[in-house]
Amino acid sequence: MTRASVVGAGMTEFGVHEEPLAELFGEAAFGALDDAGVEPGDIDALYFGNAMGGQTENDTHLAPKVASHVGMAGIPAQRYEDACATSANAFKNAVEAVESGRHDVVLAGGVERCTAETGLDTPAMTRIFGSASHRQYEQPTGITFPGVFALFTKRHMHEHGTTEEHLAHVAVKNHANGTRNSKAHFGKEVTVEEAMEGPVVADPFRLMDCCPFSDGASAVVLVSEDSADSFDAPVDVTGVGHATDVVPIGDKETPHVTQAARDAASEAYGQAGVSAAEVDFAEVHDCFTGAEVLASEALGLVPDGEGGFAAAEGRTARDGEIPINASGGLKAKGHPIGATGTGQIVELTEQLRGDAGAHQLPGAGTGVAHNLGGDAATTVVTVMGVRA
Amino acid sequence: MSGTEGTADEPETPDEADSGTGSDPESGEESGSDLPVLTHRTWSEALRSGRLLGQSCPDCGHVAGAPKAACARCGSRSIETVELPTTGEVYTETTVMVPPEGVEERGYQVAVVQVGEARVMGRIEGETVTIGEELRLAGYVTGERNDPGPLFEPA
Repeated sequence: MTRASVVGAGMTEFGVHEEPLAELFGEAAFGALDDAGVEPGDIDALYFGNAMGGQTENDTHLAPKVASHVGMAGIPAQRYEDACATSANAFKNAVEAVESGRHDVVLAGGVERCTAETGLDTPAMTRIFGSASHRQYEQPTGITFPGVFALFTKRHMHEHGTTEEHLAHVAVKNHANGTRNSKAHFGKEVTVEEAMEGPVVADPFRLMDCCPFSDGASAVVLVSEDSADSFDAPVDVTGVGHATDVVPIGDKETPHVTQAARDAASEAYGQAGVSAAEVDFAEVHDCFTGAEVLASEALGLVPDGEGGFAAAEGRTARDGEIPINASGGLKAKGHPIGATGTGQIVELTEQLRGDAGAHQLPGAGTGVAHNLGGDAATTVVTVMGVRA
Repeated sequence: MSGTEGTADEPETPDEADSGTGSDPESGEESGSDLPVLTHRTWSEALRSGRLLGQSCPDCGHVAGAPKAACARCGSRSIETVELPTTGEVYTETTVMVPPEGVEERGYQVAVVQVGEARVMGRIEGETVTIGEELRLAGYVTGERNDPGPLFEPA
């Protein structure tokens, strides 16, 4: 079932940017508008994501601010915040808006700055990222976000035999993929040995297991299925699943299975009428290498317990049976929090159009995006396909 | 986060703790058991005196380690405060080498600890522990605004 169509996609390079949030967002937004062949006055509503601007840059009430910057003041503009799943949630609401007929043409996107350009150093940013863990029942222990995913990954290693070398293979794969993507934060290959010799951040994660702090923006123009044919290159959104899980970690039934991802995937696959076996490629939320292992299993792309083995055996490489993160993923493409979710939609759109340049995958007909927030308690899974 | 650690006072008996919190109008209504309705305040007071309180759901059986207004699994509002064991085992753990601003130390271990039917996140002191190892509550650490978090040590 087609729920909406993406008719324009744009993003900045992910990396280090000195421009303010509105200017960064403007670059991605105009990229999407130009791609769709529409003007700011054609946009009926803005679904905007920014996770941490209030904490990082003392900058809030951003929806009308960025709308004003790109010539869209006056329309309904709303900001979403769901930690790292921020702009996937903005996207979900944009899909529903055009699907329901409430709006005809909408813009969904997000922006974030996380690098030292904000004026914040690593300890300060580590504290801000940690605000997504439970304020009363987790933060006092000194847990960090690498630590949160380390807790999940350690349990997965205990139960399934996943190894630190498996994790290193995820980093090596995604860095290699990133060298083909001109928008990626990192364009340098790493070896398993280099990855396994890096300094420990939160064991089992070393530096190369962790995505970078990135700045960037991404945006897509969405229209209803009925009006998509009047645009040059529509790509269909066939399923969007959104689920949550219990916070804090201790109260989740089985933390490392990332149940919200399983629930969201089931919902999205059901809407799209596809099974995991019919997915040609996936962009998953590899904020840490272990997170990709968990996501590949939660999406049903590899059997439970085999995510680490699959990465090490090349089954998730760009020439493997199910390519995961051909863009480089968060690990190499970068992770500007509020821009990451719609950044994945930009990637799916380009792959499905056959427009992904040096990192284009052959035979990309059905793609899946998996964007999680916080301790995976928010997950949005999107299925997109080539327009029939 | 100050990173300071506190040692639990002598554990109070449930009756003593109850009379203290039960007479406080800010503690809210009594729950069905003889323990206080579990809020961040009553949970913190208990932790500072060496006890771990949780919530049991009579409708679905879930035992939560963190206070809530309703059962996180089934939505029941009939949850009851329960005493959790102060010994348990490591469910999963990590050692944090890059701490957040406000934590002066590095290389500290954080674990999710299985205490009876519930799990809680806590800091570990003493020897580094691995999954399955037995722990006992040893006090508490304090974070921002002096909020306490459980501190465990190898049993």
